[in-house]
Amino acid sequence: MKKTAADKSVRISDRPLFYWILRRHRPMQLFLLSIIVISLFFKVYPLEMQKRIINEAIYLKDTHLLFLYCGLYIGAVTIASLLKYATNVIQLYIGQKILVEMRTELYHHVLQLPLQFYRKMQPGTVISAMTAELNAIGFFLGGALAIPVTSVLTFVVFIGFMFNLNPLLALLSMGVYPLEIIVIPYLQKKYNKLNKKRVKTTRFMANVVNESISGIHEIHGNASYRLEEEKLSSYVHQLYTLMKKLFIVKYGIKFANNLFQSMGPFILFLVGGYMAINGQFTLGALVAFLSAYEKVYDPWKELIEYYQDYQDAHVRYRQIMKTFDLDPEHALLPFNRAPFTLKGNISMKNITFTVPSGVKLLENINLDIKANEQVALVGYSGSGKSTLSLLIAQLYDASQGTVSIDNHQIGDLTKLDICSNVAMIAQQPFIFSGTIRDNLLYGIQAVTADSPPPDRSSVLAVIRQVGLQDDIIRFGLQAVLTPEQCKPFREKFLRMRQIIQTSLKSAFEKAIEFYDATAYLHYSSIRDNIVFGDSLSGQFAVERLPDNPSFIELLQEMNLEQPLLTLGYAIATQSVPLLADFQDDEFFFRDNPMEADEFTTYSNLIKKLTGPQPKEKEARRLLLILALRFIPQKHSIVSLPSAMEAKILAARRRFQEIVVHIHMDHSRILEAWTPCVKAPQFGEPVDFIPFCPSEYMYTHTLLDNILFGAVKSEQALDEQLRNLAGQAFQDERLLDEVMDIGLDFEVGSKGDRLSGGQKQKLAIARAFLKDAPILIMDEATASLDNTSQARIQGLLETDYKGKKTVIAVIHRLDLTPAYDRIVVLKAGRIVEQGTYDELMERKGAFYDLARAES
Amino acid sequence: MTSPEQNLDLNVLSKITGTQEFLTRVPIFSGAPAGVAKMFAYLAKREEYAKGEEIISRGARGDRLFLIVSGKVDIFQTYKERRFHMQLLHAESVNYFGELALLAEFDWFFSARAWTDVVLLTISREAFTKVMERFPDSYKVMVQKIIKLHINRFVDQGSSLLGNISPEAWREDPPEG
Repeated sequence: MKKTAADKSVRISDRPLFYWILRRHRPMQLFLLSIIVISLFFKVYPLEMQKRIINEAIYLKDTHLLFLYCGLYIGAVTIASLLKYATNVIQLYIGQKILVEMRTELYHHVLQLPLQFYRKMQPGTVISAMTAELNAIGFFLGGALAIPVTSVLTFVVFIGFMFNLNPLLALLSMGVYPLEIIVIPYLQKKYNKLNKKRVKTTRFMANVVNESISGIHEIHGNASYRLEEEKLSSYVHQLYTLMKKLFIVKYGIKFANNLFQSMGPFILFLVGGYMAINGQFTLGALVAFLSAYEKVYDPWKELIEYYQDYQDAHVRYRQIMKTFDLDPEHALLPFNRAPFTLKGNISMKNITFTVPSGVKLLENINLDIKANEQVALVGYSGSGKSTLSLLIAQLYDASQGTVSIDNHQIGDLTKLDICSNVAMIAQQPFIFSGTIRDNLLYGIQAVTADSPPPDRSSVLAVIRQVGLQDDIIRFGLQAVLTPEQCKPFREKFLRMRQIIQTSLKSAFEKAIEFYDATAYLHYSSIRDNIVFGDSLSGQFAVERLPDNPSFIELLQEMNLEQPLLTLGYAIATQSVPLLADFQDDEFFFRDNPMEADEFTTYSNLIKKLTGPQPKEKEARRLLLILALRFIPQKHSIVSLPSAMEAKILAARRRFQEIVVHIHMDHSRILEAWTPCVKAPQFGEPVDFIPFCPSEYMYTHTLLDNILFGAVKSEQALDEQLRNLAGQAFQDERLLDEVMDIGLDFEVGSKGDRLSGGQKQKLAIARAFLKDAPILIMDEATASLDNTSQARIQGLLETDYKGKKTVIAVIHRLDLTPAYDRIVVLKAGRIVEQGTYDELMERKGAFYDLARAES
Repeated sequence: MTSPEQNLDLNVLSKITGTQEFLTRVPIFSGAPAGVAKMFAYLAKREEYAKGEEIISRGARGDRLFLIVSGKVDIFQTYKERRFHMQLLHAESVNYFGELALLAEFDWFFSARAWTDVVLLTISREAFTKVMERFPDSYKVMVQKIIKLHINRFVDQGSSLLGNISPEAWREDPPEG
């Protein structure tokens, strides 16, 4: 955006609507204008042809001329339509382009508005302004110049044409327009007023909805549905009344338009007809005149509509701009210099902070903090300790007095100066949607957008520092990796599997039933026992197998189809009566091949069935699915006769032989890590991946891949994993890869998929990773458990001692002894400061606080 | 294609009935309505332990009831690094332990290990609660039964301890004055 340098001179909220239209995309707009001018000719030309067809071709009965004029007529009309089409497209293109710029620049402005603005601003207002209301303006923008120009020109040209034909008639038929010029603007003004109210009411409504969604916990907790409904319903009704009035006026305008439009032909027929009868006017001219009159009305109508749209857009635009009519408090980027590198000497002189209501949150604060000093701010809630820390982070500006860092007044520092030197951890940090990695790097990437991200080892080091590694490893283990994601680490992951399969095998056998190509697996489904692998395309998914002809053929060949149908029938007939009263709770379906939402299907099925071997295809499919999902050791509803096991094993071998063409005999020898998958032909992707010790199973989680078997007991597994495997993997430095995968865990909107502690730790890691000289912690560890809290505290006392200026707002006083200085606030003033021992000895305010706590 | 070996007998397949029969012989569930017993039979899990293996250890989260199908289980407590036997349970006598875990959340206050190879059925507190929600009438009866059984165990363990108590632990009436 080269143009923006000039734009910057006018503050975005002061710019009139046409500022955007007149200054953006001028070549494109000029091009549009020239198309419009050209199209004018092709609009009038058909009228001339109409006249000639009647007056010359028909009058002279000359078919040759008729064909010529008709040809010219249709040619001109086609060109005119094409040009109209082009105009529309270009208009929309320009409008959307301008909208993109408007939205980008406005968002840039909105994000930088001071926190105080957001204190009184409802998110709903900002959201609807940025989205729906700007959209409506966007549609106006494209045609903002072209439509009036086209309409006026077309209007003039047609009127000219009419005057050319007959000045008197032209004058008469124009007579109605002045009337319209009086009536329509009057109605329009009314419409605008109502429309303004509509925008406002809609915003209030959005705010109510937004608030109730954000507070849905509270609403459910209090069952206050009626209360919330009432809040909304008053706005809904207001809006209804407004819309009613709005449409009455809107259609009033339409009605006036239509009435005036029909007045014209009436005069034309009356006067023109009279003149034609008396031979003062040719018939052809009358027809052309009528067409011209009709045509002249189009641009007029367009002008009126344009006028309405303009008023509408203007109202919306002014509302939006008025909302955001504020200046950001600090420049974003330093002018002509790199951001400062500060040491962290902080000095506050006579600071007073007053909120708009007049309450002084801080009064006459004088405080000097040396570089690398660690200071704890304590006090009763409401004493102003958080506010004080926010002043240093430039999030609030003092009402009186000065805050300076390394002799730079904080008001003169740019946002970039502050955020490259200050890392801030809020009490309730915000986690953005995206991955853990995105959130970790959020602080750094904002400061150094161009430099490369920190290397993996330093990211993982911070993760370990804040005690997030177990969580990250767990996320990593639960990830299902695509071949591309897996590729760099594949060998390492298979090595982890090998460790469990060899040196830890006996320990893990308690928890895992390992995949074994020659054994029946009691903790795996019958499907897994036969297919013994997975297809990347999903063609061997349980639900698709009953429709797979080669699979069904195989079952028939191995005499398995009937027993499996019987098994499915047994499961269905046992489960349906048992679970009929429990179908609403998924808990009761956890150990059943049937899923809760399939209950009705199976319930209906067994009502129809007379025996375990139905003829109908769908019934067979449903029974087979249950049988294929059946896991003998997990599903206690029925038991599998051992004779079936041998048959299923035979079917597995046959399946490998004739369906997927794979030989797995060698996979028994664990040392031989030869792949089981046949090498793909050129261009043919590998689709089937068997449960083979040397193959990574891309449809399974990383954990499944490492364990290489079905879980027998979650509890036993948990123990073995944490103790044995954790150590073994750590020894070989294999866990870093798992963590790397875990960093790509999607945290959900606002980090919803993380626990409170995880979010807090993530925010602390994010701040630590920034490695800024000044660290502000606003009760940053308050929501952590004691162990985690102690861990972070320990970090401050060891790694950060004498290296960073730390300002910590602290509630729990037992954490304060480690700080170099404790500053005690009370009602916005500093009442005491000193080391822990000094303050306890003095028996003053701090002593009282400490006693109150214990 | 209907050779006799292919046609499975539906009765052979059914597994719940056997478990249900076993449950009705366990004091906690004896007398429970058939619907309740059947549901527990469905939700019960089988666990197998080899001789000497630890089944639960003191301090771990108590989350399920254990029923002994076969084998013997040693209930013990470790005190001053010595192991004290509290009870030896087997399938034919008191064949359950951990019954309180059905009612409340707590950490095991004793340990258990397999004295011989054992097969156990377990019922989790979650399953118990979920089923009892549907049978509120049975719930009262069950709770009373569990508490009574626990008192019985308490008495049993108490007398077993008293039988093995060291003579010094014995005390006369409180001294006068």
